Amino acid sequence: MMNEYKGQDILEFNYLSEEERHDVIDLMPPADYCAQEQVTAESVKESATAVEFKPAKRHMGQKIKNRISNTIIYVVLCLMSIIWLIPFVCILLESFRVESTSQVGYIIPKEWGFDNYINLFTKTKFLRWMGNTFFLGLAVSVLQTAFVLSMSYVLSRFKFRGRKSLMNLMLILGMFPGFLTLILIYNLLNGWGMTGENSVFGLILVYVASSGMGYYVSKGFFDTISKSLDEAARIDGATRFQIFYKIIMPLAKPIVIYTILTAFMAPWGDFVMAKYIAHNSSAGFNVAVGLQNLIATEESKATNYTMFCAGGVVVAVPITVLFMLLQKYYVAGVTGGAVKG
Amino acid sequence: MKKFLAIMLSLVFVVALCGVTACDPNTPQTTEQTYDITVWVSETAGVVELTQQQINRYNETNEIGVTFNATVEGVSESESATQMITDVESGADLFFFAQDQTMRLMEVGALTKLGTKSTQTVKETNDASSILAAQVGDDLYCYPLTSDNGYFMYYNKATMEGVNMDSLEDILAKCVETGTNFSYELEGSGWYNAGFFFATGCTSVWETNNDGEFVSVQDNFNSANGLIALQGMQKVLKSTAYVNSSDAANFTAAVPSSVVISGTWASNTVKEALGDNMGVTDLPSFTVDGKSYHIGSFSGNKLLGVKPTVDANRAAALQQLAMFLTNKDCQLERFNAFGWGPSNLEAQANDAVAGDPVLTALAEQNKYAIPQGQIHGKWWDMAKAYAVGTKAAEMGDKVALQAVLDTYQESIDNAFNVKEVWTYIGKIASLNTDWSTDFEMVQDAENANIWRSKDAVVLADGDEFKVRFNEDWDNAFGNGGGNYVVETAGTYYIVADVVAQTITLEPAA
Amino acid sequence: MKQLDTLSYLKLSKIQKIGYKLASFFCAIPKWFVGLFLKLWGFIKAIGLKIADTCVDIVKTFKNGSWKTRVSFLVMGFGSVMFGQWLRGLLFFAFEVVFIIYMIFAGAHWLSQLGTLGTKLPTTEDVYNPVFDDTVETTIPGDSSFKILLYSLLTIFFIIAFIYTWRVNIKQCRINEEILASGRKVKSTKEDMKAVLDDQFHKTLLSLPLIGILVFTVMPIIFMILVAFTNYDASHPGNGYANLFTWVGFENFNLLLDFGGGKTFAFGEILAWTLIWAFFATFTNYFLGMFVAMMINKKGIRLKKVWRTILVITIAIPQFISLLYVSNLFADNGVVNGILLKLNIIDKEHIIHFWGETGQNPWLPRMMVILINIWVGIPYLMLITTGILMNIPQDLYEQSRIDGANAWQQYTKITLPYMLFVTGPYLLTSFVGNINNFNIIYLLTGGGPDNPKLIVDGTIAGDTDLLITWLFDLTTGASANYKLSSVIGILIFLVVAIISLVVYNILPSNRREGDFS
Repeated sequence: MMNEYKGQDILEFNYLSEEERHDVIDLMPPADYCAQEQVTAESVKESATAVEFKPAKRHMGQKIKNRISNTIIYVVLCLMSIIWLIPFVCILLESFRVESTSQVGYIIPKEWGFDNYINLFTKTKFLRWMGNTFFLGLAVSVLQTAFVLSMSYVLSRFKFRGRKSLMNLMLILGMFPGFLTLILIYNLLNGWGMTGENSVFGLILVYVASSGMGYYVSKGFFDTISKSLDEAARIDGATRFQIFYKIIMPLAKPIVIYTILTAFMAPWGDFVMAKYIAHNSSAGFNVAVGLQNLIATEESKATNYTMFCAGGVVVAVPITVLFMLLQKYYVAGVTGGAVKG
Repeated sequence: MKKFLAIMLSLVFVVALCGVTACDPNTPQTTEQTYDITVWVSETAGVVELTQQQINRYNETNEIGVTFNATVEGVSESESATQMITDVESGADLFFFAQDQTMRLMEVGALTKLGTKSTQTVKETNDASSILAAQVGDDLYCYPLTSDNGYFMYYNKATMEGVNMDSLEDILAKCVETGTNFSYELEGSGWYNAGFFFATGCTSVWETNNDGEFVSVQDNFNSANGLIALQGMQKVLKSTAYVNSSDAANFTAAVPSSVVISGTWASNTVKEALGDNMGVTDLPSFTVDGKSYHIGSFSGNKLLGVKPTVDANRAAALQQLAMFLTNKDCQLERFNAFGWGPSNLEAQANDAVAGDPVLTALAEQNKYAIPQGQIHGKWWDMAKAYAVGTKAAEMGDKVALQAVLDTYQESIDNAFNVKEVWTYIGKIASLNTDWSTDFEMVQDAENANIWRSKDAVVLADGDEFKVRFNEDWDNAFGNGGGNYVVETAGTYYIVADVVAQTITLEPAA
Repeated sequence: MKQLDTLSYLKLSKIQKIGYKLASFFCAIPKWFVGLFLKLWGFIKAIGLKIADTCVDIVKTFKNGSWKTRVSFLVMGFGSVMFGQWLRGLLFFAFEVVFIIYMIFAGAHWLSQLGTLGTKLPTTEDVYNPVFDDTVETTIPGDSSFKILLYSLLTIFFIIAFIYTWRVNIKQCRINEEILASGRKVKSTKEDMKAVLDDQFHKTLLSLPLIGILVFTVMPIIFMILVAFTNYDASHPGNGYANLFTWVGFENFNLLLDFGGGKTFAFGEILAWTLIWAFFATFTNYFLGMFVAMMINKKGIRLKKVWRTILVITIAIPQFISLLYVSNLFADNGVVNGILLKLNIIDKEHIIHFWGETGQNPWLPRMMVILINIWVGIPYLMLITTGILMNIPQDLYEQSRIDGANAWQQYTKITLPYMLFVTGPYLLTSFVGNINNFNIIYLLTGGGPDNPKLIVDGTIAGDTDLLITWLFDLTTGASANYKLSSVIGILIFLVVAIISLVVYNILPSNRREGDFS
């Protein structure tokens, strides 16, 4: 049975023009990535050893030297931590300030309380917005992961005609200034009733539809998984689907989690596209648009500013927790992937 | 083999199929007296609830039996207009917006004209400036909501103690002395900074036709008086106390302001920030060359608009509801809840309104204000540019300030005042032009129908051109409808008879 | 330029080597362009040949085919059903039916108006309503140019899809006939179904993502390119309630050619800053992020996880909140200036204008946005580089240490070459991303401080405006000038695409790997 398929493939190959045949041959699997990496490491090693290093002075003991550099590093890291945490802490403090609701020129609140949080949940539709965004995040992360993984797996594993042009095309498409097309996307979704109240569905569609173009990192990851695994399974009679599902997926856990994580986070901060599509219907806002709407004018900024900060803190909580739990996979995923993109 | 592609392509069909549903935009007529409507109101806390109550009250009290199922959304006035412009069809049925958006809304057809009786009622019950705001050409297109869209001066009585609050120079000096700021959003848009021009008697008159298109703008900012205005403005812009902001929260900023130029909407914030030290008054005067000028302002309105609809009954019901929401009682309720100054004459006469300190300050300033009327949306940015230019110029450098005015004039002329001349345009080798530049022609002194090129032009074989009026292709001709093609090279004056629509080449001596 | 052989290259001094490398880089650019055009020409030729081949093939199939195949020319899928592939056949047939229905009921309607983009203006009528005792204005919407353009485009896509499917349907019949002629069996429906998850698995996987990209990326871009040839703007909104818009040919491009000194100057200035920004934003983040990762990774440093988590928290707060806060922090009357005043480091006359002031040095606000961008970007870069750094074979370091290399030498000779090689493509994509980095500039400075030299059509641009924020102002401003922004958008797109394609194809890692795109 297998031979028959092959026969057909060859048949198709025969229909190709001379140039196309050349293309196909050109696209035959390149040397295995891992092997190539080895070569690179070798070449780096060679260049490293080829250079004559000047002997370092060794007056001080290695230990003392080490201790000094470690101390410096600790100082730098502490300073950095402070710089990086200041805005976060300030926003946190703002959210507990109750003596006034507008912006003020000091950082430490004079009166503390949970009023802003209570107001946020009782006086605005914040719960609804959170729900929208959460649903959006979940749906997008599932669908987008499927899209991105399919795309990158195919581009990493299958050699077919037009593969390289496809990748070049997607690289170029990504450079078009996106917001120019906002008006069109709005009208398209509006025709399908996916704006306003239903904008969550519209947003899912928009985010997911174009997500295939972000295949770089996960393609890089798949490239690092040795192809000999596939071949061995193929000889054992596994179908391509079985290879993808039973062999590659378990190995690709870090990149799956990385993709889920990035996809889940994106909807929380988007206020340009989401605002356009919600078309002023507060039931269809995500948190970003909802919170922005709270401080849309100076007047409302004066009455809602601290509540706005409280909203920011509430949004940050699930993402931080998720990140802390999955940090290991994120690093593993992005490492494997960034190797090539 | 390719079946899968076929499946994929058939999904494209699903996408395209939706074109079928969007094919017929007409909505069916309905005779039912219950309408589902969307209303976009200001996002200020409480406005949504109050509007909902008012609509409910209308439902209960109207004698016709109309019921509205209203979805009320709180969005900023600018957002309300922007989203209407993005998509009229699924926009709100009734929406609040600020006056400066009227023309943009007219351009996209988002406003419905008022009926004859409603027009009469609105004109009888509202103040003159608000009627001007609601009017485009000869007809009313919006319902006045407030007459408080102007600005004046809030200040901190504690730091400004003993200062003559009518002298810009004194106020600025005191701010510098106390290390506090003077907040005036001069570089934000033309809305705040045009006051300096109005102070010196400059005017900007905009004329529109009945379709809401601009006919002309008569603007004399580029004049001796305009130069004085910029000198006055520069005093603020160059002061170390100046902050480009109208945010009342500046009173409590880390480097606090003592003065903030803002409008009625800021009053609650100022009260909260300053308490008993809150001072509010009209804008001060500035002095140039020994002469004092009271800073002017725009007086404007918030308006209510109604979206066009094909259903006559629905349109009538919406018109009725809009009239109700802008009547005396509803306006007074809004004044009581949010301090919005009414446009309704009876409501203005109400004791509480007349005695309100903020509205009093506004009324005081309004003596020096000009009604905003209809201004083209592009103008605000252009007007902002002269403040930016003034800021960049050296203090008191009149040459630089004059250059700023010239640039402004140029922007205005390019955008609004198309010159009424015939020009020739084409592919002419010696001028190195390929249908990209218009060259002006001069009207003959004796025969008004004859226009000729200003200078003699070197024309080569095969050069082509046309002449046109106002740089508009609708009013163009060459060799009849086609291009005029040069047959014999030489140096000529291009002579056009614009009535007979003929072109002749007159050899230059 | 003369190509040096390896030996004479090695003889050059260090500076000469760098000079040689730079020179060969720039010499490669024209060559690369020539190559690109040749490739493009080859591509167009190949497409032409392919279409010609296809037509010949279709004619041949009709001549040589059996009656089953011939009927398939009219009734799609007929051949497939007759050859026993009923699923395939039914799908083909269903597609044809749907296509015909669509074209009759909608497609033809939209396509017929594509030439004019609509002719019917909205009409209003004053009607007297006795119930309310008043006249009211009713509006019958006219044609919507926007919808006509949009749905015509979709219809054209659909027609292309149909022609392609029709062609596939015919080709299938021919292939089946050839298979039967050679005495083998055609594939059954069951086998077809199996192939979806096996031989044809890549097509299965690609189908949905590609449709998504087609509809939500490719089609909008084509649409915006078409808009550049219309007079679509605020006064011609084409929404059915006001003026229509229509085709105007190259007039918008003429407007741009007619740019004159001011506009060209503004475009050049903003482009220059955009490139400077993209360069610094990319490389400062890259090197500092790597540096931080190396510090945390260093042997003997404790609490590695804590340091990382602290940095990562900044990712968790949405940018529109944290950047807004930072923007206020550094405002002229903000907390930072307040503290400096209190500590008497500055006086009120010399407030630090972190976000710049019109007419003053534009480099302070520019430096500020780059600095804040470092604050935003380092956590991501730290995460990315952490893992790669750990991947560098440790024996390289061991060996170099034995050879007496110090830390700096180890960094420049081992770490950096390795990192640059591995992350070259990442650097390019992040460079492009930074050219189009809207959020940071929009949220921090809004493009300010305004620069009076950069006035275009009365809209003023600022010193920190990137092309993308400038374009945003032009589009969303009062004029809603879609036609002009499409033209400028296409220009920006060309600039960015050419820069990145040139750089990309000259990147060493790309050349050697050949595979990455």
